Amino acid sequence: MLGILRRIWGDGASGQVARKRMQFVLMHDRIDITPDMMEAVKNDIIKVLSRYMEIDGGSVKVDLEEGKDFMALISNVQVKRVYRHSTSG
Amino acid sequence: MAGKTIVVTSGKGGVGKTTTVANLGTTLAKKKYNVVLLDTDIGLRNLDVVMGLENRIVYNIVDVIEGKCRKEQAMIRDRKLSNLCMIPAAQTREKNSITEEQMKELCSSLAAEFDYVIIDCPAGIEQGFKNAIAGADTALVVTTPEVSAIRDADRVIGLLEAALVRQISLIINRLNAKMVKKGDMMSTNDIIALLSVPLLGVVPESEEVVVSTNRGVPLVHDRSSKAGAAFRGMAARLNGESIPLDGDSRGFFGRMKRLIWD
Repeated sequence: MLGILRRIWGDGASGQVARKRMQFVLMHDRIDITPDMMEAVKNDIIKVLSRYMEIDGGSVKVDLEEGKDFMALISNVQVKRVYRHSTSG
Repeated sequence: MAGKTIVVTSGKGGVGKTTTVANLGTTLAKKKYNVVLLDTDIGLRNLDVVMGLENRIVYNIVDVIEGKCRKEQAMIRDRKLSNLCMIPAAQTREKNSITEEQMKELCSSLAAEFDYVIIDCPAGIEQGFKNAIAGADTALVVTTPEVSAIRDADRVIGLLEAALVRQISLIINRLNAKMVKKGDMMSTNDIIALLSVPLLGVVPESEEVVVSTNRGVPLVHDRSSKAGAAFRGMAARLNGESIPLDGDSRGFFGRMKRLIWD
């Protein structure tokens, strides 16, 4: 039965799946950032970057990743074009 | 010198808090310490049935706090150990019938008379939880190797740290070694790495726990039980004895112990 389930989900042993999911969940719980807040951070990043370059807003992803002794905010942004003069100010 | 006040908590319900309180308390009493168990799960009391003392209840913790009786009148003596007693929770009252300040007072007056005050905390993180941890200097967080229990344990650890509970240790209950070996259950090391709290002990999943609860006799009375051995090891470590973690149920030391005692 477990074998069948494993084939359906197409992943490895469920213990490791649980461990990885918990790493992610606990990190979010601990820093107390709600999905709404993450969305706001993402929108602000888009706003700031847009002063200097044309970016693909839909491609922007913001994630928190935990290293051994640190936590990192990682964002991937697809840049279409960099403006010659910033549009700020 | 004041005794230790220990709260057993978990966040999630049904992970084994009450069983842990009953077994740790019984083991410490068997070591000749004076022990009082305090059920703070007002409205949903269960420590009395797990200890097999449900027929003797007259007064409860709310009666003590409201001054309707002296605390000695609410203490129910264990059937086997005269140095072990329990103060039951009230069944028909609510969690906010008592305050954190009142709990602190009760705990310190009990700690003045007993070596160990062990508090059974209700599930959840609301007023009942806040009351239960108010007077504790040590917290034991019970979890099972399941995602929901671990997530709740993490939340509770955060709240305990915020409440400045000095010592926090982890108890992993119902670990199924076969499933861990197959890779279908998070291992002890996985759980410790996730929660970053020192481990007090691991209780193997066992049918004996159900049987002992059915009878109302704590498992640690049965010397042949592996889960019972795990609880005895935890109580010893709690008491400052240096018993190795893997000596509880397996390994050379554990096998020797069983050979001698069984």
